Amino acid sequence: MAVTAKAFQLWRSQIAPHDNVSDVCRVAGIKRSTLAQQLVRGKVSVTTVVAIARGYGVPPVQALAVFEGYEDLPGGIRQPTDAELVSQVSHIDILRLLIARSEDRGSTATDLELSLAPLPHRNSVRAWVEAVDPGDLRQQLAASTGVARQNLSAQLTAGRLAPEIAVQAARIANVSLASGLVVTGLLTPEEGGWPEDGRARALCAMPDLDLVFLARDRLDVLGKQIRRAELDDGKDRAMWENLG
Amino acid sequence: MTATIQWIALCICALGAAVRVPGVRNGQGRTVFTALVLLTVAVGLSIVPIYEAVDGVLGGVNIANLLLRLTLYAVFVLLGVRTAAAFGSSLARRLVVGPFGLAILGLTVAATLYFFVASELPGTSTGLHAFGDQDTVQQYAAVGRLYPGYVAGCLVIPAVASVADRRARTAHRVACAFLACGFSLVVVFVLLRLTPLDLGAWDIVLPFSAIMSNVVGLFLVWLSHTLNRRRNQRANKLA
Repeated sequence: MAVTAKAFQLWRSQIAPHDNVSDVCRVAGIKRSTLAQQLVRGKVSVTTVVAIARGYGVPPVQALAVFEGYEDLPGGIRQPTDAELVSQVSHIDILRLLIARSEDRGSTATDLELSLAPLPHRNSVRAWVEAVDPGDLRQQLAASTGVARQNLSAQLTAGRLAPEIAVQAARIANVSLASGLVVTGLLTPEEGGWPEDGRARALCAMPDLDLVFLARDRLDVLGKQIRRAELDDGKDRAMWENLG
Repeated sequence: MTATIQWIALCICALGAAVRVPGVRNGQGRTVFTALVLLTVAVGLSIVPIYEAVDGVLGGVNIANLLLRLTLYAVFVLLGVRTAAAFGSSLARRLVVGPFGLAILGLTVAATLYFFVASELPGTSTGLHAFGDQDTVQQYAAVGRLYPGYVAGCLVIPAVASVADRRARTAHRVACAFLACGFSLVVVFVLLRLTPLDLGAWDIVLPFSAIMSNVVGLFLVWLSHTLNRRRNQRANKLA
C-alpha cells in the first residue's frame, strides 16, 4: 500500500533537491496535510509518489522502481495481452459493438471508431484479475503477500487492489507488471505502456461467438451485482421504514 | 447518582421522541414515536417526584405504578414488532406478536392486574418499595420484569446478527450494536433479579442504561433515514 517515509524522503531529495515539502505538494497538486500525515505515520502512499513524479516530469514507473517491492517494475513492462485489453472495455461498449455487428453496421474498419469509455470501468479490477488468472491466482496471491483471501475478495468487490498486490498479481500471472497499476487507475494507460487503441483493436478482433459470450459473462456479473445491491437496499429500507 | 441517571434517561427518551415529531406529522414512523412517548411516560413514572405527583392526582393508591407496568408492556410490544421487522427476523416477530407471544402478553397483563388487586397498597410509594415485604407485590414486580425480558431475549440474537452483517451500512451496524446492547442489558438484568443477589445501585443502572442504549440506537436509525431522505438518492443501478 505504501512506501516507507525514509525511502520517500531520500527519493524526494533526489528529484527535487531544492524544494521543501510545501513546494513538492504544490507542484504535485496534493494536499499538504495529506502528505504531512503520511510522513508522520511513516508510510507514504504510492498514489502520492505517482502524483509527485508526474509533477516533476519523472515517469511514474521509473519513480516507483526506486522503492522496495517495485524494483523490477520498469524491466517487467511488456505489451498487455488481448485478454487484458478486452477486460478493460466496459460492458456498455461491448454491447454497443454487439449491437452494431447485429445490425450489420459494424465492419472491422468502423469498429475502431467505437470511442471506448476511458479506463477504468466499474468492474475493471475484477475483470482484469479474471482475465490474467492462470487458475489459482488468488491462492498464490494470498500465500505470497500474506493478505487473507477474504481481504482480497473484499478489495476486488470494492473495485480496489493495493498497488503491491496488483504488481504481485502481474508477476504470478506472468503479464506486464504495470497492468495491475493501470487497471486500478493508479497509472494512466500511456504510463503503463498500454498502446493507444489497443483495447479497440483487441475488441474488434474478437469473433462474433466470443463477443456474444463475453457480453453474456459481463451481463451475468452485472446482474449479480445489481441483485446484491437490491438486497442491501431492501435491508436499508426495512430498517428505515420500521425504526426510522 | 441513581436519580441523575433516571433524569438523564428521561431527557434522552423525550429528545428521542421529540426529534420524530415532524416526521410523524407526515405520517412516518408513528409506531416507534408512540413507543418512545410511552417509554418517556414509563421512565417519568419511575422517578420519585413525578411518581408522587401523578399518583396523588390518581388517588394515592399506586394506580400510577400499574400504569407504568402496562405502559412498559406496550413499549415492548411496539418496539419488539418493529425491531423484529427491521432485522428481517420473522421468527422474532412471531415470538412477540404471534399466537404464542400474544398469549404470553395476555397472561402477563392478567397476572399483573391480579397481583395488583391482591396487594394491600395504601399510600403512594414509588416502585412499591414500601410494600416490598408482601408476597403478591414481589410476584407483581417479577411478572413486570419477565415480559420485557422475554421480548428482549427474542431480539438479542437478530440484533447481534445485524451488527455482524458486514455488508450493511456502518451507521446501521452501530445503531444495531446499541439496540443489541440495550436488549442484552434487559436480559442480564432480568436474569440477575432471578438470583438472590442484592444488586444495589445496579438495580437502577442496568435497566436505565438499557433504555438509553435503545433510544440512542433508534435515534441513529432515524438520523440515517433523515440524512438519506435529504440526499434523496434514488440511485440508478445501471448508470
